[in-house]
Amino acid sequence: MTWRFQRFPSAPAGAALASRIAAIVLALAVGGVVLAFTGVNPIPLAGEVVRSTFGSGFGLEDLGLLMTPLMLTGLAVAVTLRIGIWNIGADGQFYMGALCAAAVGLFVKGPEPLMLVAMAVAGLAGGALWILVPTLARAYADVNELITTLLLNFVATLIVYYVATGPWHERGVMTLGSTPRIRYQLPEFFGSVHYGFLLAILAAVVMAAVLAFTKWGYEVRFSGANPQAARFAGIPVRRRIIVAMLVSGAIAGAAGMLEVAGTVHRLQGGISNNFGYLGIMVAVLARGSCLGVIATAALMAIILNSGIILQTRGINTNTVLAITGLILFFTAIGDEFAHYRLVTTDGKGK
Amino acid sequence: MDSALQPQDIGGPGTPPIVLLRGIAKYFPGVIANADVDLEVRRGEIHALLGENGAGKSTLMNILTGIYQPDAGEIIIDGYAATFASPVAAIAAGIGMVHQHFKLVQAFTVAENVHLGWSETPRRASASQLEARTRALAERFNLDVRPDARVSDLSAGEQQRVEILRVLARQARVLILDEPTAVLTPAEARELFKALREFRARGNAVIFISHKLDEVLEISDRISILRGGRKVSTEDTAECSHRMLATLMVGREIVLGNYRNRATQAQAPRASALSLAGVSALDDNGRPALREVDLDVRAGEILGIAGVAGNGQRELSQVLTGLRPITGGQVLVDGKVVRSLDPTTFAGLGIGHIPEDRLRSGIAPSLSITDNAVLREYEDAPVSHGPLYRPRAAVGLARTIAGAAGVAVPDFGMPIRNLSGGNQQRLVARREMRIARKLLVAAYPSRGLDVGAINTMLRYFVELRDAAVAVVLISEELDELLNLSDRIAVIYEGRIMGTFNTEDADMETIGLLMGGQRQATHAPLHMTS
Repeated sequence: MTWRFQRFPSAPAGAALASRIAAIVLALAVGGVVLAFTGVNPIPLAGEVVRSTFGSGFGLEDLGLLMTPLMLTGLAVAVTLRIGIWNIGADGQFYMGALCAAAVGLFVKGPEPLMLVAMAVAGLAGGALWILVPTLARAYADVNELITTLLLNFVATLIVYYVATGPWHERGVMTLGSTPRIRYQLPEFFGSVHYGFLLAILAAVVMAAVLAFTKWGYEVRFSGANPQAARFAGIPVRRRIIVAMLVSGAIAGAAGMLEVAGTVHRLQGGISNNFGYLGIMVAVLARGSCLGVIATAALMAIILNSGIILQTRGINTNTVLAITGLILFFTAIGDEFAHYRLVTTDGKGK
Repeated sequence: MDSALQPQDIGGPGTPPIVLLRGIAKYFPGVIANADVDLEVRRGEIHALLGENGAGKSTLMNILTGIYQPDAGEIIIDGYAATFASPVAAIAAGIGMVHQHFKLVQAFTVAENVHLGWSETPRRASASQLEARTRALAERFNLDVRPDARVSDLSAGEQQRVEILRVLARQARVLILDEPTAVLTPAEARELFKALREFRARGNAVIFISHKLDEVLEISDRISILRGGRKVSTEDTAECSHRMLATLMVGREIVLGNYRNRATQAQAPRASALSLAGVSALDDNGRPALREVDLDVRAGEILGIAGVAGNGQRELSQVLTGLRPITGGQVLVDGKVVRSLDPTTFAGLGIGHIPEDRLRSGIAPSLSITDNAVLREYEDAPVSHGPLYRPRAAVGLARTIAGAAGVAVPDFGMPIRNLSGGNQQRLVARREMRIARKLLVAAYPSRGLDVGAINTMLRYFVELRDAAVAVVLISEELDELLNLSDRIAVIYEGRIMGTFNTEDADMETIGLLMGGQRQATHAPLHMTS
């Protein structure tokens, strides 16, 4: 009788959860060791991070403000994952959503509630528009969406930089790359945390419900899991792909709009803060589950917030980006390991 | 220096065989790929490995070339036991394989592909040096390749020659070819056979995997037949005939009842349910797969399609279910021409389909049993109401289907791939039977199943037949076809060779037609259509 590891086609959910927890612990440990090498004692630092994140109202407000865009960009990526597509362009869609919302906010006048709705519509449309070309290319020409969505991020980033430093730049102000303040803003309900936070949670819940309780959701699920079998059953896979991708872009655009109307109140170059890219992590850590995105966005917000605190201690913020990268890296490895189980084989085999 | 150029050492008595496999077994979760296989390959022979799809030919060769490790048994090369941890170790021992799906780098030139991952590749080499070396190799082995061409620009036949050159350049003494003629034109196949005979003449061995009787009889010296993962027999080719090989390959050991007798109240076949009139279709590579097929399926009959796999059965089943466009002819349902040939229309007409590649077209392995069970009816009440999908009603329907299929499901939310192949197949069959009001197309429904599951499956078809539904049963199991079908059509290279009433047909005649022998020399046949 011998023991060996055998790969199984499915990974149990428990193993996947364990692999995520292990990944986070390992990534923090590696980060701690690296910090220790630079001469910082990581243990009191960790205590300080925990205290200033959870021990104060400001810390919790920051968490809420960070979670809002992360939930939405994570949701955007998770929606496309359901149909087997990687939207790497949530960052670009975020920028375009922010740009369109800011355009409405800056140049149109009207009663505030109406204007906020108009900005939201503009944000949704901006995000959807930005993923339109990759969507059509994917659906009709089978162009890989990884590349098209990724490259459009750089275009969107540069357009927003141009607008914020050039034509829409606030005159007479020294700050580089910012438009004037937008007068319409989302109401706040907890310190500086605006209602966008609740809207993001609502979006995740609605999306989860749509995927679980509509025919459309079933078809998206099936098309993602096996497009050939879906076609065989007569599901219009191409149309489902188009709608899922546009919805994804719109959600990422909404994140941009909320950032402009709720948190920053201006359009700035670099306003996305990499939220689009972090959304990929949020979705992957949540295994593509829409409700799971709420939890993983909270985790990511804690990590980002720690970065801000570390920065005040003179530690490079890139440390935090490195740690998030390590978490994704370890999770990918752990997910593969989760497929393996120890089995016994008898040597005879007859 | 080079064993390929050594004087011929075709072993006389006492010389150990070049390859000897003993008691090889390989198990995958839920599948026995190989069990207790003995195989002896001698110097200077072309040894054919014959068997239907899934008989374990490729797995056995993947074990011999170090891609898989055997779960039991031993590999003996030139009389010495060997273990190959990887294909690199196997090629070092002189055993090289050309896979059915080529493993070439499309963006590289021929010369680069030949030299890739080869210890004898010069450390610093210009493109022209590599091409010169490749040209020399090509001349030595008499293989016509263009060293500077990009692989992506080559035809399948040319790519195959590159693969063979790659293997020969590494001083292979045993060349394994997996279905080598599947991608070749007849002219290219003749070229290949010529090269193989030259290779054999130098005292080397070829293992030739195929399920085509003609070419196996033409090229090989000995034939080993695999069936269900086990070796059935090894025969001298000179003593083999089409008929005998067909019988050995399709087997006789499954004993089934005769299902052709109808219950008294069930009616005999009636009007035409679906017919094909001069239908032609292409395969995935754009080559003709069906050639002017005329076929008539009547309500309340089981029409068997006999043939060796790869002769157009896959395309036929896809045409019958609207999955594959036709390039000529007409499809008629109830005598009326169907204009929009798409899966939705066919499903709407009451045509169900048990596909041959269950995992690729029949189910989504990663989704739950419920999701998979309701695939054909999720749009209808009670699973859906308007745009709403009701998971609880879906589980209810899944429970009904699993109950009818006799599959015990502990958790309907678990991925369907956790079920055994037989249980997956039963669920798919039951799911399709529910929508098959007019016709059920079943492609190799018993492939990979045990006898019990096969019997269940066949009883389903009888049940449908007695309910006046037409059934098209595509199978390689002649026994199964003879016991079940009212009529049998034989397909060979995309043509229907003949259609018989089953009472008038015998296994030998069908076996010959399956091998492409149109004229049977004895026993006149009673053609019905």
